[in-house]
Amino acid sequence: MSSDDGEERVPLSRRPEWADVRPLPQDDGPNPVVPIAYREDFREAMDYFRAVYLADERSLRSLNLTSEVIAMNPGNYTVWHFRRLVLETLNVGLLEERDYVDHVAEHNSKNYQIWHHRRWLAEKLGPKAANKELEFTKKILTIDAKNYHAWSHRQWVLQALGGWDDELDYCQKLIEDDVFNNSAWNQRYFVITRSPFLGGLQASRESEVSYAIEAIMANPENESPWRYLRGLYKNDIDQFLSDNHVSEACLKVLKSGHNFLFALSLFLDLLCFGFQPSDEFKRVVEGLRNSVASSSDANLATSVCNILETVDPLRANYWAWRRSTLPSIVC
Amino acid sequence: MDRSSELDRMKHVAFLEMMMEWIPSPYESQEINRLTLAYFTISGLAILDALDPVYKDRIINWVLSLQAHPRDRAELENGQLYGFHGSRSSQFHRHDAKQQDSVPNGSHLASTYCALAILRIIDYDLSSIDSESILISMRHLQQPDGSFTPIHLGAEMDLRFVYCAAAICYMLNDWTGMDKEKAKDYILSCQSYDGGFGLVPGLESHGGGTFCAVAALRLMGFIEADALSKSTVATTINVPLLLEWCMQRQGVDGGFQGRANKASDTCYAFWVGGVLKILGAYHFLDKDALCRFLLSQYSGFKKFPEDVMPDLYHSYYGLAALSLLEEPGLIPLCVELGIPTKDAI
Repeated sequence: MSSDDGEERVPLSRRPEWADVRPLPQDDGPNPVVPIAYREDFREAMDYFRAVYLADERSLRSLNLTSEVIAMNPGNYTVWHFRRLVLETLNVGLLEERDYVDHVAEHNSKNYQIWHHRRWLAEKLGPKAANKELEFTKKILTIDAKNYHAWSHRQWVLQALGGWDDELDYCQKLIEDDVFNNSAWNQRYFVITRSPFLGGLQASRESEVSYAIEAIMANPENESPWRYLRGLYKNDIDQFLSDNHVSEACLKVLKSGHNFLFALSLFLDLLCFGFQPSDEFKRVVEGLRNSVASSSDANLATSVCNILETVDPLRANYWAWRRSTLPSIVC
Repeated sequence: MDRSSELDRMKHVAFLEMMMEWIPSPYESQEINRLTLAYFTISGLAILDALDPVYKDRIINWVLSLQAHPRDRAELENGQLYGFHGSRSSQFHRHDAKQQDSVPNGSHLASTYCALAILRIIDYDLSSIDSESILISMRHLQQPDGSFTPIHLGAEMDLRFVYCAAAICYMLNDWTGMDKEKAKDYILSCQSYDGGFGLVPGLESHGGGTFCAVAALRLMGFIEADALSKSTVATTINVPLLLEWCMQRQGVDGGFQGRANKASDTCYAFWVGGVLKILGAYHFLDKDALCRFLLSQYSGFKKFPEDVMPDLYHSYYGLAALSLLEEPGLIPLCVELGIPTKDAI
């Protein structure tokens, strides 16, 4: 009877199975503000919903009514809550409900209430639901590989129900599909730091550094692998300074003379932490400074800030501030 | 002030005054959060310095009528929030109930924030509402990890509701409503490897999440005003990394993106711009480029120019962002609370 079918919707007031129910209209008071111009169908469905909700009628017709309301508006948390109560009382099969949610979620993949309902269902189904949930989020992510709700659900599933085995491979595939997909890079970080099977950040660091640098070399203008690389040294500045791979990657990009913004900014961070640059670094920076005609300075970090101010004018004020707040230890 | 800004102002006022009296049916899907639509409308008009005093009593009466009241003090320990309903849709009168003594309580933390924000905008004296019920009952919504769920019925838990809780306590000038230390710990656990904040620990850095995190910390007193200019090292969050993340969100089109490598969107000029403002770093961004981006969206701010109807959410955050830019004719914001004010926090 929902308008989904393409059939003419029969108002609830004309359906014999609802004849005994008195719909409960909203009482908005005498002079409300921001009144919504409800369509008649919507208003009527909600008035009948309010009646069964208040009466706490946990019947099949109530369940069907919640489906009808959800089809018009999946965003009402009271409706979903009542649906859960009815499902539990009627002891409806959870797998049947999951099919229903699959269908609704596909067309409303950015709705908080639907994802919450999915989580409720998955919790009840337990670890055996993990695969199906991962499959479902994967489906949503093929439509939009950055859907925040899908990623949130996926991370919850992994932590609550398991299924870590293929996750790193999945991240790799997504990064191959689109190396600029920051969500995929974030998920990779999530896996290497939180997977119970991988030994933590330090254990994975070396291989992940290579992975990030490879991505950087292919697209030095891509912010994601730069942030990821820096993130691999979270809370470990000493390693960050002493690992040659990091400084060498910076140097290589700087030498290329293009797409060097992130390389230069990472180099600035290294200097601020006390990095002692080689003469080659100094020469390359001097070369860049000449090519963009920014002002020279005896202090290397100052020169770097000058270059950044020139080539990244959108953030000129920020680079000027960085220059004015350089630590005294810096070269 | 140039003619194009002036014309826009009149269009925005007309649009919001229309919404005050009549919200078109496509917004049905947001009916459970009607108070939020009211907040966008009222705060928007206030930012435009066009909130007609004639609305004041109507607004007060309507907002106050959405408050959930316990029958007695004992009810405050039943685990439910006694705050504000988001709309009449989830609110029931006792006289509607038949045999039952109690009626469903659909009051919600985000609606409570919106209600108090609206009352504050119109200078209603908050000491005359039953704040005790709100403060005692909201404690039940805080989780062991410090996060908040917005409603006892069960819902997602994330930084948005930590922010709402902090703003509620701040506006009621009473922190008994939450455990600030636990909330702080939760917020810290949301800071990502790149300096921004995800909505939940482990999630990708996001402009909205970052605002909720930083604004909540500021309201709770864990970040000083103009943190950047202070020489004290932040013992809470990694400020330099956060700053770097925020700065990188401004794109070549002048607008702000919510996440790395995504398109710019009007609303992030408020969410991320707001973080910069709180940190005392707002002057770092390219104001001209941002202003051009915001004004290039036509009548009412839309997510992308090809949308036809102005959408209330983007219209509002575009105005809020222009206020941060000190666009002439707009009232300054108290960024942390997300309302216009003439007082500094």
